[in-house]
Amino acid sequence: MPAPEKAARVNGARKPPLHGVRVADFTLHAAGPFCAHILSLLGAECIKIETAERPDIFRKPHPVYGRLGAATFDQVASNKLSVRLNLKQPRGVELAKRLVAVSDIVAESFRPGVMERLGLSYEALKAVRPDIVMVSVSASGQTGPERGYAGYAPLFGAAGGLGTLTGYGDGPPTEIRHVMDHSSGLTAAMATLAAYLRRKRTGAGQHVDVAAREVACGFIGDALLQFAATGVAPRRTGNDAPQTAPHNVYPCAGEDRWVSIVASTDGEWQALTKASGHSDWLEDLRFASAAARWTHRRELDQAISAWTRTRTREDVTRLLQAAGVPAFPSYTAADIAADPHLEARGTIRSMSGPDGESRKVVGPPWRFSRTPATLDRWTPKLGEHNEYVFCELLGLERAEVAELERAKVIY
Amino acid sequence: MELEPGGRIAVAPLAGITVVEHAEGVAASYAGRALAALGADVIKVEPPGDGSPLRRSEPLLTREPAASALFHYLNAGKRFVTCDVATEQGRALLGELMAHAALLIDDTPVSRRLALGLDPDSVAGRHPDLVFLSILPFGAVGAHAHYVAQELNVFHAGGEGYLMPNGLTLEMFPDRPPVKIYGHFAELMGGTSAVCAAIAALLVQGEVGGQFVDVSVQDANISVGCFAIQRLGDGVLENRHGRSFKYGGVLECSDGYVGVLTLEQRQWEGLVELIGSPEWALEAALRDPLERSRRGAEINAHLRAWAKSQHVDDVVAKGQALGVPLAKYNEPGDIFASAQSKARGLFSPLDLPGIGSVPMFTAPFQLDGEPVTLTRAAAEPGADNRAVWCEWLGHAPADLERWGLHAGA
Repeated sequence: MPAPEKAARVNGARKPPLHGVRVADFTLHAAGPFCAHILSLLGAECIKIETAERPDIFRKPHPVYGRLGAATFDQVASNKLSVRLNLKQPRGVELAKRLVAVSDIVAESFRPGVMERLGLSYEALKAVRPDIVMVSVSASGQTGPERGYAGYAPLFGAAGGLGTLTGYGDGPPTEIRHVMDHSSGLTAAMATLAAYLRRKRTGAGQHVDVAAREVACGFIGDALLQFAATGVAPRRTGNDAPQTAPHNVYPCAGEDRWVSIVASTDGEWQALTKASGHSDWLEDLRFASAAARWTHRRELDQAISAWTRTRTREDVTRLLQAAGVPAFPSYTAADIAADPHLEARGTIRSMSGPDGESRKVVGPPWRFSRTPATLDRWTPKLGEHNEYVFCELLGLERAEVAELERAKVIY
Repeated sequence: MELEPGGRIAVAPLAGITVVEHAEGVAASYAGRALAALGADVIKVEPPGDGSPLRRSEPLLTREPAASALFHYLNAGKRFVTCDVATEQGRALLGELMAHAALLIDDTPVSRRLALGLDPDSVAGRHPDLVFLSILPFGAVGAHAHYVAQELNVFHAGGEGYLMPNGLTLEMFPDRPPVKIYGHFAELMGGTSAVCAAIAALLVQGEVGGQFVDVSVQDANISVGCFAIQRLGDGVLENRHGRSFKYGGVLECSDGYVGVLTLEQRQWEGLVELIGSPEWALEAALRDPLERSRRGAEINAHLRAWAKSQHVDDVVAKGQALGVPLAKYNEPGDIFASAQSKARGLFSPLDLPGIGSVPMFTAPFQLDGEPVTLTRAAAEPGADNRAVWCEWLGHAPADLERWGLHAGA
């Protein structure tokens, strides 16, 4: 079989940038699947490998936040193809290798060591596809004494220091939620794309190793440097940004409605006082300089809150943005789903499922002028694309597939 | 193809690719940094004189002269040139750089682009093969494209701001305003997402030529926060109170904090064993995860009382051996000291001007089993003027003087 990217030349047509690239996706949960999701949005044909023996925990109902639901699967699995393959069976592993042999990228997020035990290590996969690019996403990385540690998003944030530095000054560290998983997946996609570009330029494959806790470290790189250079690390400081005031989230009309406001220059401060009709603040000695505003930031917060509290988030935002002051509502998911700006950009769009159901989904987060990204497939059912993958791509006869299904290899 | 001495293909994937970074914001600077860590030759263009205002952004390492930890972190691995794009000469110099580059990163506000010749049409007209990566808070098109925003604003525009905090923090302070994630989380997400798009465009550059890639930091954050939209479709509008696990979470030990999260039955059973299988935890009803959630407050009271007398490192080591997902809330100093960090080679020593050799976090990925190394600390504005404008692009040193650009090192 020809290498897919050679079979599909992009001749200036509006094909997505990864058109013709195939990803064998062994990832589970959230971080790894998000990596493959990003590659699929860029146009890769992403084949998710699962088994009914132990489907992705995010596919089946599981207790999250005290309720039972598979609420986190559809968005990240959409755009992918799905096959059933039981990797506990030797013939399942053989089929996995055949799939890798016709793929460009392998993505996996098992605990380090599991792919080796399955016979699917990078070295083993290189033997069937010498130029394969493989990405492994894990909690702590493929090496080191803690490589086997189990983890989820808040624990990556904890170990990487991000959760430690997040929270109110008089409170405890704070859990970072699924954005920690997805930022790890996004980082993995970035490095994988770079490795794939290297393959395109040199013909050489590469193994990309992403540790989610190190992604968390990347978000506190300035704090790590500050500690290394001065011996002093920053503490938790709520919404404060050093030496900048106002810099906070302020209550608005309605229940649990907020607006974020930042004025980091004298010009923005003066514009804020004018736009809010509070030129009296310019006369107030507590607010007379950036340093004074920082010293008196809690009183300043109270004054601004008194102004915002009776106004809508949208009114405050409109007034301040017109004056050049950074301000924006604290958006709920419903706000995001209803925002015309986001709809116009394709960030939020509607998708229809096979049974006629429709839902709002998050589209590709980029706009390419020549090679647009795509989101055009609903979440696949488990094994929905068995025939395409096993018969068309791997050349199995239908009778062989049926036998493998009976033997719980394709299962 | 970039070969190292001895004919080995360079591990750094983007070796040999030139990137021009005309950017002042955090998101675009981080995109440049990530590309540099991946091996690209990233040339940062700043105005002559004091350079980018980001050089004076908190947190500071020294106040006089101002040396910013944030700037140093975001700009390691790059080269630094100056030119004044407010002048025709400066724009011509920037144009020369663009003609020699594969990729331009720019975060000039939309309203100023046309005057600087940095609007998509002008750039495409002059440099048809250049990938133009635009990184702005709300993107280059749309009703909010002209909005100004800082980290706090885009964090809230992306939806995650409304949903923080949760767990113990929220329990202690239920009535406070939402709290941000430390630092520049949203902007760094924007930068990372932008690099994905930039590399994708570079992949097809040979076939389709250059193109305009419009990245919005808000879009990037909605993308990484997509579960909230997923749940909205399922009929659940997430809020801070609904987005907390009902038991586990942050536990205060005698010498610090740990986090624990048990999503699977065997993990809960490991936790019960870790805390010594007390009678309350062995109650048959608590084998049901939904019952545990219903009685989360009661379970947490027990867990918190137990944790008070424990040492963090013991809890993590013993818990992980039992298969319990647990982690220490590491302080920056813990990260430097950790055996895991050392084994992974997370830091490169860099010589910061006026400060000395300091270990710098390199990159959150390894390639072919090798940690990323950084060899170039951020230097003063125009430090590479001579190397870039004269030695690479062929201008005479006297020209630099005439244009008011210092010659650099």
